[in-house]
Order: sequence, then C-alpha cells, then structure tokens
Amino acid sequence: MSVRFAGVSYAYHTPSGETLAVKDLTFEVDDGQFVAVIGPSGCGKSTILSLAAGLISPSSGKIERGDGQFGYMLQTDALFPWRTVEQNIFLPLEIKRKNTPEMKRNALMLAEKYGLAGFLKKSPAQLSGGMRQRVALIRTLAAGPQTLLLDEPFSALDYQTRLAVCDDVHDIIKKEKKTALLVTHDISEAIALSDKVIALSSRPARVVGEHPVTFGEGSPKKRRECGEFAALFEALRKELGI
Amino acid sequence: MKHKNTNYSADHARYLKRTKRGKIVVHAVRALILAALLGMWELCAQTGVFDPFITSSPSRAAKTIADLAAAGTLFYHIGITLAETVAGFAIAVALGYSCAVLLWLNERVRAIFEPYIVVLNALPKIALGPLIIIWMGTGYTAIIFMTVLVSIIVCIMNMLAGFAAVDKTKQLLLRSMGAGRAAMLTKLMMPASLPAFMNTLKVAVGLAWIGSIMGEYIVSRAGLGYLIVYGGQVFKLDLVMAATFILCLLAGGMYAIVAIIERIVVKRRG
Repeated sequence: MSVRFAGVSYAYHTPSGETLAVKDLTFEVDDGQFVAVIGPSGCGKSTILSLAAGLISPSSGKIERGDGQFGYMLQTDALFPWRTVEQNIFLPLEIKRKNTPEMKRNALMLAEKYGLAGFLKKSPAQLSGGMRQRVALIRTLAAGPQTLLLDEPFSALDYQTRLAVCDDVHDIIKKEKKTALLVTHDISEAIALSDKVIALSSRPARVVGEHPVTFGEGSPKKRRECGEFAALFEALRKELGI
Repeated sequence: MKHKNTNYSADHARYLKRTKRGKIVVHAVRALILAALLGMWELCAQTGVFDPFITSSPSRAAKTIADLAAAGTLFYHIGITLAETVAGFAIAVALGYSCAVLLWLNERVRAIFEPYIVVLNALPKIALGPLIIIWMGTGYTAIIFMTVLVSIIVCIMNMLAGFAAVDKTKQLLLRSMGAGRAAMLTKLMMPASLPAFMNTLKVAVGLAWIGSIMGEYIVSRAGLGYLIVYGGQVFKLDLVMAATFILCLLAGGMYAIVAIIERIVVKRRG
C-alpha cells in the first residue's frame, strides 16, 4: 500500500464561510499502481493530492502512507528560468539536503537515460513544451520518491504534444517502477494511463465509481486502439454525469 | 544561445539598414535638441533678450564650473553630495529589502505595519526637516537620514509587490519538496523577484538624489545642494546653474550605471 484514504473529508475555511471540498473519501493506491482520479473541474481533485502529500491535514478521516517519499508534478512545468536544466533537476536535492555527489550522479544518469543529456546546460526557455515537461518529471524523480502525485500535468500542453508527453511520462514512470496518483478531468487520459480509474462527483467530491483497467497490455497507445476503451469512456461519462 | 546568421537576404539587409538608420535619427535629434536649447539660451543671453544676471547662460555656468575646479572646491562639493546620495541609497535599499523580507515572512506582521507604511509613504518627508536637524544635528548623518527616509518606503513596497508576484505554482512545488522559509526565500523568492529588485534600484536612485539635495537644502555646509541654495541666496545664478548642470550629469550617470547592471544581470539569467 502506498497511500490509503479512509473516510477523508476536507473543508476550506474563508471569512465568508466554509466549503466542503471532499467528503467521506475512501480509496487505496497500491505500490507500483497507476491510479487516476477523474472528476468535473473544480471538484476538489487538487485537494486530494495536497492531502496525500501531507501538505494539508484532513478535517476528518484518516490517511495512511506507506514507506517512501512523495514527489509532486504540477499543471505547469514550474521550471525555474534562471536555472539551467541540470540545476532545475538538482533543485529537490538542494531543498531536501540530499545534495550529495552520489544523488547528483543518479539524477544525471536518469536525465541521460531519458534523453536529456544534450540539454543539461541549456536554459528551460530553449526547450519545447514537451521537453520541459519531461525535465519536470526527471526533477520530480531526482530525489528518489516512491510515489508520484500528478496534478493534471499535461493540461498546459497543446493536444498533439499532450498525447506524446502522456505516453512518455507513463513509460518513464512504469520503467522506474514508481507508484502514481494522477488527477485529471480528461477521461481518455485517465483510461489510457492508469491501472485503476476512480470517478468523483462534483463538489464535495465523493467516489462514484472505481474501475480497474486491464486491457491493452498497459500501453496507452494500444489502449486507445482497444474496443474496451470506448465502452469504459461511455461508462465513466455517465458516472460523471456529463 | 542563438547563433548569429551572417548570411542575410537582400530584404533582411534592407531591414537592418532601416533599423540602424532609425536609431541614428533618434540619437541625432536628441543631440540637436540639447544643442539648440543651449545655443538659444546662450544667444539670448549674449544679445540681451534675457538678462544673464537672472537667467545665467551656458558659457557663464561653464566658467563658474572652471573657476570652482581651479579653486579646488568643485570635487569637494561633488564628492560630498555623491557620498551622501550613495550612502543613503545603499542603506535605503539594504534596509528596505530586509524589511520587505520580514514583512513577507510574517503575514500578521505585514498586516500590523501596513497602515504605518502607507502613512509614512504619503507624508511629505520634508515636513520632518526641523525634527531631523534637532535630532541628528547639522552634519552628514542628517542628510543621509533624509535620503534614506525619502527612498526606503518605495523600496519596501516595490519588493513586497515583487514577492507577491512570484508564481504560486512554483511556491507550491517548493513546499511539496519540504522547503522551509529560508529555502523558499533563497531558492525562489529572491531570484524570482530579481527584475522587481532591479526596478526598485532604478526608482531608488532617483529618490536618493531628491533626498540628498532636499537634505542639503535644509541643513548643509557643503555639497551641490548647498551651492544651489547659497547661489540663490546671494543671487549668483551662475552658481545655481553650474551646480544644476553637474547634478543632471551625476544623476543621469548613476541611473545609467544601474541600467547597465540590470542589463548584465538580465542577460546572465538568459
């Protein structure tokens, strides 16, 4: 088990009142599993990741975490423009004070393994959107987290890049044997990437359906070609009430 | 880095020529305006259209500068005003930046001090002149204090705005990595707000000159502001104009230095 939500609720407080973002949420992400959480825009999906990462504590309920650290990947690549690609990748090492030569070497090996060798000394501004998102992923992986929390990491990309980066990220995460919790509002993305899709209601978010995805040999490309893809898409669409 | 392509098409060569010519025109017209203004002024003073006793003239101001230089007091006065301005500027920027960091670190402290900063910003600092003389004496400290007073608030407010404008996603990213306040500040807030800092320097340079000359108006025994006040009191308009010319050059020069530093910093960031 990597992370388990048990009856978790969370409310935001503002002077004008309180907003229940998630309500009585229960689900589990196993080690090595890729879980996608989908729901309508603004249903509190990002809150789920903040809760999972421990950045905020639930108002009620319990969150259990397995061993291993968490790494965040956000909607925009959030690369620091004043740092080179290499320095960006080292950022989590510096923050977590794991800035040892060995950790740096590991991070660089990872970067080279996934085709960033020629870009290390460049500035992020010189990279394409897809390449920047790959740098963001390697940066997330650099500190050696076991679980990745992905907050609509492809939503800022144009459609073509998005498909490519989507497959790319899936590939790298599977190869590195990481656990992933993805939140997205894109049904097809969720089906293509994950081992399990969890559908949420609009705010306050509750689980309205859980679907294991087993077809297509775990490859996003093959999955999109499968007949089951359309069937699951329809089922999810109905659950989400779109 | 983009490689410079030296193989242009004829169209591109024309474009380059056109931009270059545009730049030359701007510089030429600028110089022409200055020359025309000085020339007209000189002419009017020479031919008696203006009374040079009241308006002075470029040649008389130049002669005054030469006389001051010959008497050996020119660089003394320049040095004093320059030292006061640079000291006040440096203190205001350093102190203002530190205050902004403190206010950023603690939201409640910021809320507490906000009205004080607003009032201090709105207050015409010259109103504090008598107090400053009584508290700080009539030496350089009073003038430097005035300089700091005039420029520090803008430094604080500019930097606070700079910190507030830092991308929230990047802040969330650092927090998710477990960054504390110190790491947040050094890894993200300070580098990200560098353009705001350079902007602050530019504004503070101008304000520092206002502060130091204002300070010298209130209380001084030397400096360019002193020369201007003294010249005005004894009706030596040549001295007033001479000091004002030098002030223009110095203020412009200091701004140019900051602008050059900005360009280097921005370039290095890529």
